[in-house]
Amino acid sequence: MPNAKMFDLARPSRQHLLGYILLAPAVLLVGFIIVYPLAIAIDLSFQQVRIPRMGTRGAFTLANYQRLFASSEFWMACWVTLKLVTVVTIGSLFVGMSTALLVNNRFRGRTLARLGMALPWAVPEVIAVVIFAWIFDSSFGLMSWLFVVTGLSDTMIPWTSSPAAAFWAVALTMVWKGFPFVSIMVLAGLQSIPADFYNAAKVDGASALQRFRWITLPLLMPVLGVTLVLVILWVFRDFSIIKVLTEGGPLKTTQTLSIMTYDQAFGLHNFGYASAVGVLTLVISVVASIFMLGRGTKAIY
Amino acid sequence: MTGLLRKSLVSLAVAALLSTSALTPALAQTTLKFISWQVDDAGNGEWWKSAIKAFEEAHEGVTIEFTKVERGAYADTMTTLFAGGQPPHIVHLASFEFQSFADTGWLEDLDPWIKRDGLDMTGWAGQSVCQWNGQTVCIMMSYFGFIMAYNKAILEAEGIEVPTTYEEFLAAARATTKDLNADGIPDQFGTGHETRGGAGQYLTEMLSYIIDAGAYWTDKDGKVTIDTPEMVEGLTRWKTIISEGLTPVDMSAGDVRRLFADGRIALKLDGPWLYGTMQDGAASADTVVAAPPFTVPLGGSSNVLAIPSEITDEEKELVWEFIKLTMSPEFQRTYATVGGNTPPSPKADISGVEETIPHFPLLVKTMQAASDGGIDRIPAGLELNYNEFSKMIQEETQRMLIQDLDPADVVKTMQAQAEALAN
Repeated sequence: MPNAKMFDLARPSRQHLLGYILLAPAVLLVGFIIVYPLAIAIDLSFQQVRIPRMGTRGAFTLANYQRLFASSEFWMACWVTLKLVTVVTIGSLFVGMSTALLVNNRFRGRTLARLGMALPWAVPEVIAVVIFAWIFDSSFGLMSWLFVVTGLSDTMIPWTSSPAAAFWAVALTMVWKGFPFVSIMVLAGLQSIPADFYNAAKVDGASALQRFRWITLPLLMPVLGVTLVLVILWVFRDFSIIKVLTEGGPLKTTQTLSIMTYDQAFGLHNFGYASAVGVLTLVISVVASIFMLGRGTKAIY
Repeated sequence: MTGLLRKSLVSLAVAALLSTSALTPALAQTTLKFISWQVDDAGNGEWWKSAIKAFEEAHEGVTIEFTKVERGAYADTMTTLFAGGQPPHIVHLASFEFQSFADTGWLEDLDPWIKRDGLDMTGWAGQSVCQWNGQTVCIMMSYFGFIMAYNKAILEAEGIEVPTTYEEFLAAARATTKDLNADGIPDQFGTGHETRGGAGQYLTEMLSYIIDAGAYWTDKDGKVTIDTPEMVEGLTRWKTIISEGLTPVDMSAGDVRRLFADGRIALKLDGPWLYGTMQDGAASADTVVAAPPFTVPLGGSSNVLAIPSEITDEEKELVWEFIKLTMSPEFQRTYATVGGNTPPSPKADISGVEETIPHFPLLVKTMQAASDGGIDRIPAGLELNYNEFSKMIQEETQRMLIQDLDPADVVKTMQAQAEALAN
């Protein structure tokens, strides 16, 4: 009988135990598929190992981090990542907000417009990149053809073998893939703003721009704050768009930290060094997320 | 109550015993895992499947699980499997990637096996590549020589003969690169190279011009030999082909082959596998195979078979049996007739293959010329760092093209970086 009492999870004092028991499988699973590999990666980053082997461990060393901080390649990857995060985030926010504001109005074909807006988000990333690889093909691509036909360029543009063009090809593809997420989030935010606010502002003689600046934007800030963080993290960790489109080239001008991690690990078999890049990428992502979430929260009325 | 418990335990024990007995036949069945990127390849895939069928018929109770992994993800997958202690039983690797596995001690030394069965490897094309740290760690499955295919209709339209030297090749490429519909965009190219893929492929594309100029990355002793006038000439040739727009750029190998097969490229340097694409192309009636217009044709080892060192002795025995089967004269012949490849075995009977593959004697000739010239795509002394080396060469070459650098300066940079890698 005392045992039965101990396991009576219906008792109010034991309800928290039931919660823990129900959560345990999920926590264990997350621990196994996320925390364990993360711990392995951190451990590997302190070993000089080309190809790791489960169950074996090299000597502790800081050599990977020393090499990393002295490497111009790492700092260039940081710079490329920062540039890409800035350009793609601003581009996605601008296009995403514009389209959300557009489809928030009442007009004929609004449902179709909303569907079209969300379509890039539904297309699998690799398929989207293959389509863009055709568009940006240097010899027969649509984009170069448009540039030649409209007189913007005399020759076909080598989109993926010219450093500047390659960066913009990657950024444009990422904006196309990323803006629908912003649109959907902003649209949801717009629909939660009461119409009374706008009506009152109209009575007071506020222009459309003033209504946007003083009603829409502040009330959207909680949504925008979270969206911004998620977009930044997506650009930070995105791999497939760059890998398929440019493989980080030419001359590493599109090599972000995630591409560098992959290339060092699987291309050059420097798993210890690659793990060090991965660990630093994680640290940067966490710091950026904390900073951005803080900023987003403060911006609310 | 106690009686009931005892009965239940006895029943459970009997059931467990019966289930164990029932499992025994299943355990006797041995499955060898074999991962390859060639499973669905026309020719190669059929050849592997025929070898697997013959092996399974000769070894009752043993099956081979033949699984495809795409070439693009192959090195990643194999590295992960080996690192996790779960390598496939039959190890199939490209000849430029097995070195890392061998260096880690993951591949069995095959010398005792070869000696035990008295196999004569003399004259086996490309087999020297499989020597690693004084041991034979693999068996070379394919060594090939490059060919040149051309579109006779395009050449005839310009009144050009089939080129037999680099100078003639360049002149033909220049004459046949054209904007046919005058929209400002070239739509017919003199030649075609892949410049989009991995660094290893990029080097292969450059190498015909470099070898013809008398240069190579290292000598036979592994000493870096990039900073030479011959290499300057080789890089100048590559720069000419790319910067004059004689090839489409940023295209994958498959796309370039397709362009040639469809009649948009006049001259194409490639391996024997080009023929399969040519036959399916829109211009199949006009495309012809010829000897490459270079003094020593580019050649190279392609893929190897090996045994992982950590599987059981019984499994090693079976895998070795399978490797020996693929090396047998019978299967070396079908490697040509079914696979359309030049078999590495000098004893393979390849008579009559030309009835199904008309240019087969040419394939054999270029393979032998490349083999006799000691040509391979993997430079001696840089095998272990080949990925890093090829990436460096690709980037410095791209820098030369983008910034219009003098090849004489570029070779100095390449030399210094290659020496750092070799040391």
